[in-house]
Amino acid sequence: MARYAMVIDQERCVGCQSCTVACKSEWDVPIGGARTRVRPAGVRGIYPNFTSTFLVSQCNHCDKPTCVQACPTGATYQDANGIVRINKQLCIGCGSCVSACPYGARYINGDKGVADKCDFCAARVERGLEPACVNTCPAKAKIFGSLEDSNSAVFNLVYHGGAQRIETSDVNIGPNVYYLAKPEQMELAAAAFPPIPPQTIAAGRVWSGLVKKVVFLAVGATFLGQAVAFFRQLNVGEKQFED
Amino acid sequence: MPFENIPSVQVPLTVEQAEIMEQRQVKKHQVAVVLVHWFNALVWLLELTTGAALLVNPAYRVAPQWYLTMMQDVFGTSANLLRFHIAVGLTWIAVFLAYAIFGWRHYLHAEVLRKEVGLDNDDFEWLRIRTLLLVGRTKKHLPPQGAYNAGQKMYALLVYTMIPVIMITGLIMTFHLLATAVVAWAMVLHFFAVGMVVSGLMIHVYMGAVFPEERPAFYSMITGQVNELYAYHHHFKWWRDVRLQQQAWERQWAEEEAGNVHGDGATVHSRPVIGAYTLPNEEN
Repeated sequence: MARYAMVIDQERCVGCQSCTVACKSEWDVPIGGARTRVRPAGVRGIYPNFTSTFLVSQCNHCDKPTCVQACPTGATYQDANGIVRINKQLCIGCGSCVSACPYGARYINGDKGVADKCDFCAARVERGLEPACVNTCPAKAKIFGSLEDSNSAVFNLVYHGGAQRIETSDVNIGPNVYYLAKPEQMELAAAAFPPIPPQTIAAGRVWSGLVKKVVFLAVGATFLGQAVAFFRQLNVGEKQFED
Repeated sequence: MPFENIPSVQVPLTVEQAEIMEQRQVKKHQVAVVLVHWFNALVWLLELTTGAALLVNPAYRVAPQWYLTMMQDVFGTSANLLRFHIAVGLTWIAVFLAYAIFGWRHYLHAEVLRKEVGLDNDDFEWLRIRTLLLVGRTKKHLPPQGAYNAGQKMYALLVYTMIPVIMITGLIMTFHLLATAVVAWAMVLHFFAVGMVVSGLMIHVYMGAVFPEERPAFYSMITGQVNELYAYHHHFKWWRDVRLQQQAWERQWAEEEAGNVHGDGATVHSRPVIGAYTLPNEEN
């Protein structure tokens, strides 16, 4: 079984947005939404001694995906190959996963009213093709493959080539998109777009913290009430009730 | 005749009166109400069993894991389960919409609702004494009740409030209507409204199907009728209304029979239509 991952070489990325366009056209992403993004992380220093980089971000298909834990309906799930996917038929578009993702990789597709995000072009990968963004990148800055395949470029870059994850002490969920960059570039990117600890939406907090308890209490109380009445009925016998 | 003069307060019955009244049927529910009731019961059974299986996330879950697995196996996939839940829900909305549109005057008009679910002073007194009786702190008798007692009225009010909430939030989730946050809160409201109805449903089902004193009420949801003795004991104010109405009709009919002859000499033989009452043999 493959275990998919991606390495993004930030030294090669020139910020041309070809991957963004390829992704949008492949998956019909509406205006305002994005499954993959290229964002400038700013500039540090003064010419000619400065650092600058772009951060290419998308779903990280994390080892411990917080979005899967947050989804109330089970629409978001993780395949055995590590790809985190959305069952659009089950998604109601409540936005729980959007708030739960530390990397801002998800959005609500306004046309369809359901959550959407990168799925490593699972439909293409199943047919032996590369993800659209990888296929289109003119600088070959995106490298895709399996971490189980010791011959793959991804395997070598992750285990021997110094590719790194963007994580913090707060957010430590095993993202499977790795970055190749100079240390100062990594620092710049991580400072510009730090992962945000997963949030539970207000409705979700109210559900588990209040509403669920109220409902259990109300249903439990009336169930108990009728159970007592029923056993009393059994004990007394029905003759007593009838005239 | 059990009574020459219809009493204005509940009086003890003679054995003979009770026997006659037990044989006489009073129409309580129209056929449409009976049909909608059982359709609604079926929908609730299906929607509760599938709905509970749709909540798979531990933070939201209400059913045990084996139940979720079992339901998934029955339906094949979660998507099928949801599709079924939605199909039944939409059918429910369609039927209730038709019921509301065509039956407005009969079942949902403000006048009807006031009579059926509006709480009056007797109802509040009933609730007070009922509660005291439950904890064994009084020996008082329950005050007379209308077509529905205060408990039934409160349950009806709860259901009438929660059903639109369940329908609207269901539509919001099904068709992903309005903003993302609205969908999220629709989920919570849907669950809350169902929970509140289910808590009342526990008592409703017990009282209707199991509690011996209310057995005639259960059969009335099949035949549409209750016997007069039950009506007299449990819904005195309603019994009295029905009897007064019937008496008025009987008098009118008797007057017409007695001598109200048309110009051509023909006697009016058509008996007035007695809407809410089934006339027994008057020889009784």
